[in-house]
Amino acid sequence: MKLFEDLPPMDHLRSEDMSLVQIIIPVESAHRAVSYLGELGLLQLKDLNEEKSPFQRTFVNQVKRCGEMSRKLRFFGDQISKAGITASPCPASQQVIDLEELEVRLSEHEAELLEMNANNEKLQQTYNELLEFKLVLLKAGGFLVAAQNHAVPAETELVESKYSKKDDESLFLLEQSVQPESSSKAGLRFISGIICKSKELTFERMLFRATRGNMFFNQAPAGEQVMDPVSGEMVEKTVFVVFFSGEQAKNKILKICQAFGASCYPVPEENSKQMQLTREVSLRLSELEATLDAGNRHRNKALASIASQQWNWTIMVKKEKGVYDTLNMLNFDVTKKCLVGEGWCPTFAKPQIKEVLEHATIHSNSQVGIIFHDMDSFESPPTYFRTNRFTHAFQEIVDAYGVARYKEANPAVYSVITFPFLFAVMFGDWGHGLCLLLGSLILILREKKLGSQKLGSFMEMAFGGRYVVLLMALFSIYCGLIYNEFFSVPFHIFGKSAYKCLESSCSDAHTAGLIKYRDPYPFGVDPRWRGSRSELPFLNSIKMKMSILLGVSQMNLGIILSYFDAKFHGSFLDIRYQFMPQMIFLNSLFGYLALLIVIKWCTGSQADLYHVMIYMFLDPTGDLGENQLFWGQKELQILLLLMAIIAVPWMLFPKPFILRKLHTERFQGRTYGILGTSEMDLDQDPDSARRQHHEDFNFSEVFVHQMIHSIEFVLGAVSNTASYLRLWALSLAHSELSTVFYEKLLLLAWGYDSVIVRIAGLAVFAFATAFILLMMETLSAFLHALRLHWVEFMGKFYHGDGYKFKPFSFKLLADEED
Amino acid sequence: MMTTIVFFVAGVVASVLVLLCCSRGASTNLFHLTLIITATVCCWMMWAIVYLAQLKPLIVPILSEGE
Repeated sequence: MKLFEDLPPMDHLRSEDMSLVQIIIPVESAHRAVSYLGELGLLQLKDLNEEKSPFQRTFVNQVKRCGEMSRKLRFFGDQISKAGITASPCPASQQVIDLEELEVRLSEHEAELLEMNANNEKLQQTYNELLEFKLVLLKAGGFLVAAQNHAVPAETELVESKYSKKDDESLFLLEQSVQPESSSKAGLRFISGIICKSKELTFERMLFRATRGNMFFNQAPAGEQVMDPVSGEMVEKTVFVVFFSGEQAKNKILKICQAFGASCYPVPEENSKQMQLTREVSLRLSELEATLDAGNRHRNKALASIASQQWNWTIMVKKEKGVYDTLNMLNFDVTKKCLVGEGWCPTFAKPQIKEVLEHATIHSNSQVGIIFHDMDSFESPPTYFRTNRFTHAFQEIVDAYGVARYKEANPAVYSVITFPFLFAVMFGDWGHGLCLLLGSLILILREKKLGSQKLGSFMEMAFGGRYVVLLMALFSIYCGLIYNEFFSVPFHIFGKSAYKCLESSCSDAHTAGLIKYRDPYPFGVDPRWRGSRSELPFLNSIKMKMSILLGVSQMNLGIILSYFDAKFHGSFLDIRYQFMPQMIFLNSLFGYLALLIVIKWCTGSQADLYHVMIYMFLDPTGDLGENQLFWGQKELQILLLLMAIIAVPWMLFPKPFILRKLHTERFQGRTYGILGTSEMDLDQDPDSARRQHHEDFNFSEVFVHQMIHSIEFVLGAVSNTASYLRLWALSLAHSELSTVFYEKLLLLAWGYDSVIVRIAGLAVFAFATAFILLMMETLSAFLHALRLHWVEFMGKFYHGDGYKFKPFSFKLLADEED
Repeated sequence: MMTTIVFFVAGVVASVLVLLCCSRGASTNLFHLTLIITATVCCWMMWAIVYLAQLKPLIVPILSEGE
């Protein structure tokens, strides 16, 4: 034990020392001090103004301004992406722009952009209208010519009969002689326009009903797609002409046109006028196109210039907002000239923080220095582990279950090794392990490049866990060598097999089997087992026993960690009344089982361990008969059973009673103590962490808690041990899947002579291996290894009810909002 | 037995290497040492279990048809 006490504290085992500090900053250096602290990123400030709403805080205006600026920046971002400009961010040209200047610039840019957009829209609308007009002119022209034929019979019947038989072209020439006023005099008028193709049918029907059938409707598809101003998409439109008579009909028709969103354009009846109008419209259209183009180019240039700076500006605004949010957490002191803040920082960082605050004082030319000193606290500090990129992923895995309490043993220390190891036990195939290794090496070697890019969510997870995958791959290769499986094919790497045929003709190899004639295969499973009929019973037996042995060891490790925790916190109560009965209970039952397994293997006895264990409980004094593994087994079993039975009340009863006794002793003189401390309470900050906690001791609560804890342990001992059998189950599944793919895909395809079938078989095999074995099985084994860690291992000692240290850091801000 | 010694020696060598080449303060060294010891113990256990299980087997491989 002395050896353990001499050792230095292990890195990562427990949280860094944290201290509660108080900072008093004069107002003129406040902003600068907080931004420097943000650069350093090692101080977590407590929010002293929790009860205030966001609008009651001191710096609410600045926060609002920052919010406005980030809204404008987001707007720019939208516009840039809509215009399809990819911005190559100008690499941090650190022109330190003042915040006010930035604000002004941003509003200028925004106004400019909005104006350009509005103009653009107007131009686009005009363009659309002209385009529609042109289409109407083109198509409606055709109708009107035909319509001259159908003019009011009284006037133009004669004309019609002459012309109706001729085709349109000749009509054009003679058009001019036709009286243009004849149609208007006759009262037959028309309205021409354009409408969405989808609405055309209902439109026609509505017109028919409204005019009671006294109208003639003609339509033709427009041919070109037009941009619908409402939805911004290109839609099919139809040109229509409605012939009607009477003023009331005209009003009705106009109203219906309006309701259906059809645009009406006046088309002159004479052909020459039509052609002239068409020419004018086309001219104007081309002019507008040129204008629109120029407008777009101008806008894109402006956007490009913004785009190059946008990233920098966004970061700057985020930083400023962070600074003001933090400033909002501080309190003004009585004189209103200083800001007071409280926060947590790691003890090792205190000199760094002091230095940074000094710089802030100097740079802001303040007369008064910043005061920075320790405070006592009763609150539990946040937990902080200094992880590097290797241990970070493992710490994240542990934190996903629960952040460690302050100064609690951190299971990540052991999980770094045991998690990939348990994964490998379930995954064991060195061929697949090599593939995983390849993948993880690619990720690690391209770390820098991938780290700066923005990755999709799946790639990001894979990249974040690259070191986990590396370790998983290495252990998988090791376990694969032990299970002797390379894509389920065994190899004779480590020497000759230990089995051979009894006779050289191998006549009874298929009935009685081979015999063992040498020492066992030196490393791993003998390759002769693969493919034999008794392979599964043999491997199942090994793997089940292996799972139990690994499980018992990991659970013992967990309980031993709880011992070290109890010793660290000086809680002898826990050691005597929790650790010892737990160890005794677990080991007298399942440790004994592990021992029996090892003895059975060493002696080669045929004892049935199920029988032994069950009858240890059912009939402890009965004779063991052929299940006897060693001399004195029966007496040992009775002893172990008694010890286990004693351990249960040992872990259940004493602790609550002793706790109650200690509590009454500690607080016996408390009533006298309160009088003495009442003066101190007045000048304490009401929000500070120094508030004393009233401790009521609720005996029934403590007792029930202890009872739950004990029952959980006792029942958990059985269920957790059985839970480790999943190591066997998944390993079996992996091996069987792998065998099936190998035999039924690859070997089958290889049996044929044709190259095509072989290549096809190889491809399907590779595909199935990659997706089912490499991806699905990896995820599955990962998940189960995780569960074994979280529940069976960490359940023995871990509380996990702490909170994580979240310092005010610009780096974290930049990462988090992305 | 021999292999157990091999594992033990490999563990010692690995820890010495790590202490020599990336020695970074006493507490970090202890952490690295813990990792190496854990890894060695896990690997040794895995090997030992499979080896012991084949020491005095109760069944032998019975070849299936067509082998």
